[in-house]
Amino acid sequence: MLVIRRKSGESILIGSDVEVQIIEVTPSRVKIGITAPSEVLILRKEIQLAQQENLAAARGVSVEGIRAAISRIYRSTPGLRSKNPQASPISHS
Amino acid sequence: MPQLATANFGDIDYREESVLEFPEGLPAFEQERRFVAIEEQATSPVIFLQSLARADLAFITLPALLVEPGYRPALSAEDLQALGLAAERQPEQGAEVLCLAIITISEGRPPTANLMAPVVVNLRTRRALQAIQSEAGYSHQHPLGAVFPEEVCS
Repeated sequence: MLVIRRKSGESILIGSDVEVQIIEVTPSRVKIGITAPSEVLILRKEIQLAQQENLAAARGVSVEGIRAAISRIYRSTPGLRSKNPQASPISHS
Repeated sequence: MPQLATANFGDIDYREESVLEFPEGLPAFEQERRFVAIEEQATSPVIFLQSLARADLAFITLPALLVEPGYRPALSAEDLQALGLAAERQPEQGAEVLCLAIITISEGRPPTANLMAPVVVNLRTRRALQAIQSEAGYSHQHPLGAVFPEEVCS
């Protein structure tokens, strides 16, 4: 990873048409401005993480597998079921 | 009562008022605006979110407070407004909103909960969104060990 020190007001250039400017620095956060062509996707990284994690979560759904695994857990841990909270207020049935 | 054909649950009946509305969809699933929450006694405390538009799309979730006691997401002003909640304070979990953590079950690793991006449901209006936490330090792959033993993977 390339590491560069910059002060407020200074910029770096990425390629020929992307500019990243440091606008404001405080102890807890940095405000940056990005100038780039409209076709360049700019995303906060946690949004990309959320997208990837949602895709992975949607792939792994096997309700049969979960039913079997949870019933094994309940069988092997008597008393666990009674600790579960009541049906949540959003369920459909 | 409307009926829905699903890949995982077969044909289910649901009540219109139990549908969760995601006006912006979910990240990577922006077109999926409506989900129905399904709880079964056999799999409690799991809450499944089944898409109304896509029979094959469902998410496994757990109440985030079960995954991480003391879980306190910080909802942004934009998220609070989108949920139709007062912007000047955080809503009360359990009374005003329910926070659900989406569970990822992948082969070869223990199941994890996404505490970085909880599904937050306004319990009064059933409007919902995935509220991405940028600063709270919650992981998108929080290990589920204590709540949901590893054998769920097998």
